[in-house]
Amino acid sequence: MKKSNNAKPITENDSRQAQFRLLLAVPLSALAVGLGYAVLSLPSQAPGLSDHVAAKLEISGVSNPVTAVLLNFRGYDTLLELGVLLLALLGVWSLGAAPKRREPSPGLVLELLSRLLVPLLILVAGYLLWVGGHAPGGAFQAGSVLATAGVLLLLAGWRLDTRFSGLPLRLALVAGLGVFLLVAVVLMLAGGHLLEYPPSFAGALILLIEAAATFSIGTALAALFLGGRPEKGSHR
Amino acid sequence: MLALDIPWGVMAIILPLAGAMSCFLWPRCALPLGLVTALAIVICVAGLGWQLLEQGAQRYAVGGWGAPLGIDLYADGLTLLMLMMTAVVGLGISIYSCGYFNQDRARHFWPLWMFLWAALNALFLSADIFNLYVTLELLGLAAVALVALAGGADALTGAMRYLLVSLLGSLCYLLGVALLYHSFGSVDIATLAERVESSPAVWAAMGLMITGLLLKTALFPLHFWLPSAHASAPAPVSALLSALVVKASFYILLRLWLEIFPFAGAALAQLLGLLGAAAVLWGGLQALRQTRLKMLIAYSTVAQLGYLFLAFPLASITGWTGALYVLLSHAAAKTAMFMAAGNILYFGGHDRIVDLDRVVQHLPLTITAFALAGISIMGLPPSGGFIAKWLLLEAAIRSGQWWWGIALILGGLLSAAWVFKVVGYAFTRSEVPHEARAVPAAMEWTALLMAVVAILLGLFVPWLLALMEIGLPFGGEGSAG
Repeated sequence: MKKSNNAKPITENDSRQAQFRLLLAVPLSALAVGLGYAVLSLPSQAPGLSDHVAAKLEISGVSNPVTAVLLNFRGYDTLLELGVLLLALLGVWSLGAAPKRREPSPGLVLELLSRLLVPLLILVAGYLLWVGGHAPGGAFQAGSVLATAGVLLLLAGWRLDTRFSGLPLRLALVAGLGVFLLVAVVLMLAGGHLLEYPPSFAGALILLIEAAATFSIGTALAALFLGGRPEKGSHR
Repeated sequence: MLALDIPWGVMAIILPLAGAMSCFLWPRCALPLGLVTALAIVICVAGLGWQLLEQGAQRYAVGGWGAPLGIDLYADGLTLLMLMMTAVVGLGISIYSCGYFNQDRARHFWPLWMFLWAALNALFLSADIFNLYVTLELLGLAAVALVALAGGADALTGAMRYLLVSLLGSLCYLLGVALLYHSFGSVDIATLAERVESSPAVWAAMGLMITGLLLKTALFPLHFWLPSAHASAPAPVSALLSALVVKASFYILLRLWLEIFPFAGAALAQLLGLLGAAAVLWGGLQALRQTRLKMLIAYSTVAQLGYLFLAFPLASITGWTGALYVLLSHAAAKTAMFMAAGNILYFGGHDRIVDLDRVVQHLPLTITAFALAGISIMGLPPSGGFIAKWLLLEAAIRSGQWWWGIALILGGLLSAAWVFKVVGYAFTRSEVPHEARAVPAAMEWTALLMAVVAILLGLFVPWLLALMEIGLPFGGEGSAG
């Protein structure tokens, strides 16, 4: 990916661009005023869906309304969102292999700190995952904390063993979407609609999906940090 | 009947998702896995069509909650035709890409393409404006990654610009969704259609959503990103983008226009029509000026997308049917054209129009495909393109707005000019000889088959019109404006 820096005579081009930008400010401020007016004219009492959510929270399997919406009422959106994350990674991987850089020695502070922090971060991720059922938390938060642990390890010079960078890594990435889809389909085959949890199992199934999703989100975000597909061994 | 109870529409979303994951997990087997999935999707769409014919329009509550709490899927005649178009073009492209991509590229192509297919099917089936946003995201990311698959500076620049435009469009749309949800407390299209009433916030939402979707549909003058993205992508991807991806955002626009924004007013409709007419002329003229075949075809997409918007000022069932017919026949014809261009590029190593050098002697099937597709694009009988223009012309005259007919006829003439130019060069000798690499037979035949589909669309009109009427997607419209 070479940058096409066109280092032409800048002066005239530059001033014309500055003028263009100045002109652009006019329609943009008009747009901002219009949008501001529209937003201010909104009724302060919004007829949202929170009553509907509260009414059905009992049978959703969780007591945190956000988790109930994300994983149950509108679980189909979340399923597709997990697809978006996997797709983003696929897109980055299709561009090329991760740039090879010679990591300088991480230094004593980073090394010690990462040893201390990584187990703690994993613990926090587990806690966030568990607590999502009844309080703010859940798979996406837990996943991003897990990813932080991964990024910290990568910064400290750690790399995934090539034995695991093939199918095992891909399995870890697919797990979230895969488990979600599998649960959705099994529930459909069992006679319900797609993703129609029976109320008695809803809590357990949501936890299962969230656990897999946490794992995949963490792996995917950390893998995105590398900026390309892992070298070699990924053919297996 | 058991088979009638299977939710075929849902299967058409699940299968490509599962296909994408398995192609990613086992890249060595990506090709057979992808082909099997493609076939299975076609069967699902056929099943859904049968279901709709037997039982009429279908609504499916994901999670069993139902709108407004849950997400609904909805299928009527319009949905079915979009899904059928995707299935036919998708199957063609799946077969074509077997020959086109080498092992290394295929490994990345298949999972991305399956994700794109899942996004398209999910989008056409969705009845929920927020869910539509999620499908748009999925669609945009997959499309951008596929453009970048070509490699090289051109493709990367095109892909980057496409990504930014696509994100801007999505965000505009999302802001509109937020305003609508805050105003009416629902994101379900049917519920919104009942509750919607004119207010500043709704007008802002409408402006944002329509602008965002027009940006993604590349209506003139928002088409600036399309030629470079579509021309620099690998040939099967160009076909996908031109035939399917731009149509997806148009489909959302059409649904919103018909259901949620019926109060939009004649002035806005006239503006869309005017932009459409400008797109037809500008795209046609630019296509004539191009020196590279793929760039030419990409500009012709800009022109053809213009026809879709001519239906807005006409606002009659005939007009909408005409626009839908443009959409279908353009999908088949443009797929055939990009495949033909891909074959020529594969054979000669370049797509400079003046150096086509009697390529017809080496690739007779490809040039036949190009010419047949050209017939549909020009709008000559008995092709699908002819029926489309006929319907639009009829609607224009019936509503007393004959001047839209001028754009239709001029657009046809411009298309004819560039089709004959290309075909002419395919028969003449040039200075530069080809590099000559044998083109796999499958690639030539699929191009031809897609062109034949474009022609056949002109012969099965009553049958398709009957499918279109399931659930009366345009039913509520008055006959003539």
